[in-house]
Amino acid sequence: MEAGGTICSTGSSFFQGIPTLIDRETAKRCIFAACLALVGSVAHAAPQKVSQFALPNGMQVVVIPDHRAPVVTQMVWFRVGAMDDPQGLSGLAHFFEHMMFRGTKSVPGDQFARTLARNGGEDNAFTTQDYTAFYEQIARDRLRLAMDLEADRMAELDLSEPNVTTERDVVLEERRMRIDNSPQALAGEQVDAALFLSHPYGRPVIGWPGEVRRIGRAEAQDFYNHHYAPNNAILVIAGDVTVDQVRADANATFGRVAARPLVPRVECAQPVRLGETRLAVADPNAKVAYFSRDYRVKSYSEAAPGQAEALDVLAGLLGGDSNSALYRRLVVEKRLATEVGASFDGDSRDDGKFTIYAIPAPGVSLEAVERASDDVIAKFVNSPPAAAELARVKTQLVASAIYQRDSQYALASAYGQALAIGLTVADVQSWPQRINAVTAQDVRKNAASSLVGRESVTLFLKPGPK
Amino acid sequence: MAVLFGLGVAPALGAPPKAIDIGANQTVWFEEDHTVPMVAVSISLPAGSAYDPSAKPGLAALAAYLFNEGAGNLNSTTYQDELARRAIQLNLSPDRDYFTLSFVTLSANLKDAFRLVGLALQRPRFDADAIVRVRAQMLQSLQQEGEDPEAMASRRFYELFFAGHPYGHEVGGTAAGLGAITATDLKAFAKWHWVRGGVKIAVSGDTDTATLTSLLKSAFGPLAANTPPAPPRVTRTSAPSLTTVAMAVPQSTALFGVPGILRNDPDYLAGYVANYIVGGGDFSSRLTNEVREKRGLTYGISMSFGDYRGGGYIIGQVATKRESIGESLAVIRDVLRTFAQDGPTADELSDAKTYLTGSYPLAFSSNSGIAAQLNSFQREGLPIEYVARRNGLINGLTLDDVRRAARRLFNPTRLVVVVAGAPPAINKSVKPGKTAKPH
Repeated sequence: MEAGGTICSTGSSFFQGIPTLIDRETAKRCIFAACLALVGSVAHAAPQKVSQFALPNGMQVVVIPDHRAPVVTQMVWFRVGAMDDPQGLSGLAHFFEHMMFRGTKSVPGDQFARTLARNGGEDNAFTTQDYTAFYEQIARDRLRLAMDLEADRMAELDLSEPNVTTERDVVLEERRMRIDNSPQALAGEQVDAALFLSHPYGRPVIGWPGEVRRIGRAEAQDFYNHHYAPNNAILVIAGDVTVDQVRADANATFGRVAARPLVPRVECAQPVRLGETRLAVADPNAKVAYFSRDYRVKSYSEAAPGQAEALDVLAGLLGGDSNSALYRRLVVEKRLATEVGASFDGDSRDDGKFTIYAIPAPGVSLEAVERASDDVIAKFVNSPPAAAELARVKTQLVASAIYQRDSQYALASAYGQALAIGLTVADVQSWPQRINAVTAQDVRKNAASSLVGRESVTLFLKPGPK
Repeated sequence: MAVLFGLGVAPALGAPPKAIDIGANQTVWFEEDHTVPMVAVSISLPAGSAYDPSAKPGLAALAAYLFNEGAGNLNSTTYQDELARRAIQLNLSPDRDYFTLSFVTLSANLKDAFRLVGLALQRPRFDADAIVRVRAQMLQSLQQEGEDPEAMASRRFYELFFAGHPYGHEVGGTAAGLGAITATDLKAFAKWHWVRGGVKIAVSGDTDTATLTSLLKSAFGPLAANTPPAPPRVTRTSAPSLTTVAMAVPQSTALFGVPGILRNDPDYLAGYVANYIVGGGDFSSRLTNEVREKRGLTYGISMSFGDYRGGGYIIGQVATKRESIGESLAVIRDVLRTFAQDGPTADELSDAKTYLTGSYPLAFSSNSGIAAQLNSFQREGLPIEYVARRNGLINGLTLDDVRRAARRLFNPTRLVVVVAGAPPAINKSVKPGKTAKPH
């Protein structure tokens, strides 16, 4: 999922790296010119030696050996996310992710994080609409410790009332930081609410504040009992390990947690939209105007073969780098915008999202930016992309799968995410070939069938009084 | 269940990096690994914002962001296409001392990557249309920072913390500064700062010493050999203060800091460990425990201990709803006061050592991570042997060392605090934009 839909347990990433106060500047800049990373490309890996098996209690296990350094990455993915929040309690899944750090009967209080830190480990977690994942990175000879700790909090979390209240305040501060302080994030919540109609994807992962405040101990306990079970989880281990060792240790740790009856996931209707939505937001805190268009499109889990792949390529062609079509037309040639982008978020159980956005240059209207964007989109709807453009974008996407192999975290994430949304190890491994197979006509056809007005929400965000 | 409270020795790193001589007293650190067919390169040029002329803050950053906007006979579009169609990912990160440019490339394209980077270093174009475009982007970023209390607090904080020093202005400059910059300024800046003298280069991945040496020599050999002087030492430390920047946001951000020390100060590592204990550790610091875990006042609080070439810094950050900012700052002062007075406990020091030494290998688990980590050691002026010695130095610190550093450095009466937001209980309001004159 894109970063905007993913939220973590710790806010202390402010200062990762030295000196981060300046890196912020860099990161912002990275979005529009310097960095060629494709925002729209999903994390999928090139073929890699991967083993997969299941424990008797139903827990799935994926092992990705990487012997370059004596370290490992462990991830535990639960097939539960914000879309499973009960009606009226949005934010419960994310809140619950936080509670997983608040102690168990055997490892009380903050001993989970302290024990890992004392052993040189890093850890964190994140929640999206579809899944919740927890991870640790640690020296290979401490993997068993990390497995013990994860298995323990899967088995017997301690949800005492004072913890729940304090952690709810932490989550509300997280919401203020990520959403309430940011005009674009606030408007983005309303875009999703409009785009997905009554589907739970229309609710923010972090929850509406009034509903977050309603979460109590009983709701948390109920959520834990019905979702945090080995038969609803995927263990991914990437790093300096052998499959036999992981199998033995997984059986001795997670294997001892009993399977529990799960609440079946809700199947939600995704009715065809009958008309486009236009959203005009005025925000006194906004200092720049912002245009975005989000299309509800088929995700990798739903799409016909080749369809989602074509959308990944299309996102690259439209906004992936400084020679992409939107950037060339709006930023370089017409100087209508200072920043543009396009992304395809196709890693979801239900519908995906295709987004384009632009920040108008000073004095340029949102209408002018929208017209120019529509012209660019029309080109892709009406005619196939040039061969050189297509080749450039495909090369970048395929290379991203190789670069992904540089990082245990990225590799483990790719497999964990795929399994969590119902895809397979083979899907991850064949992704580069499937991208390579996308033709110019595929791009045109899928642009025409996916970028349709009635499936879209257009946002005009302007500085000004509410 | 059995939780192992192990204190064992951290696993050794792989083979140590090699130093490659590329002539003119330049050594490049190289970690060879052929597992993934890619190479990561990190290059730091003595071309940071501390070298901006006082009337033109933002010059170093504008030059940096124009790095990939045309070189030699290639205009911006062609240059970017040469990179993009080979999937060479270039990242441009100007900072206060250095401009770090890093890239990853498939090993098959390494030669082209160095050719293109070398061309941009040797013959940057600074075409008029590119200057207009990139300057407009930077101005728009400055404008948008007005939405972000963290950015606003940071801008004001650096002005106060490094008052009168070139570290005091933001790397991204000011609207007036950016507006005043000309192509002549950019060319002169690149000529004196995009040079061979004082450049720091680290490489990790799928290549070999001979290939790399030859590519490095052709990219960097033609550059001027002059070495820009280090930025001046920070001599005047700012007076303790509490400043607010008014913003109508629901959550305020506070930056708080005390003067740090230079990298070659004998107390540097002890100070680094002390900082980890009081505010640096993600979930395990005293500040996180008091402000987040016990009181639920914030999502994140942390302190960063670091150094520029001319002076060190210890800077913390916290964000909380506006009515809680006073309480949060009071708790922070209490935590620092106790810590400066008594220092860490023996257990805290022991935990800090096992974390800092045990997690060290994590930084060496990817080519990108290795290149970045090695390059950061190089920027700090450390010898290549430091890579292997670092954990021993941390393990060798005594409780007295860290207590001494805590007492010397973490004195809350010296705090410079800037709050951006609208805290009700704090007066002394400064309107955004009405900032101290850059020097």
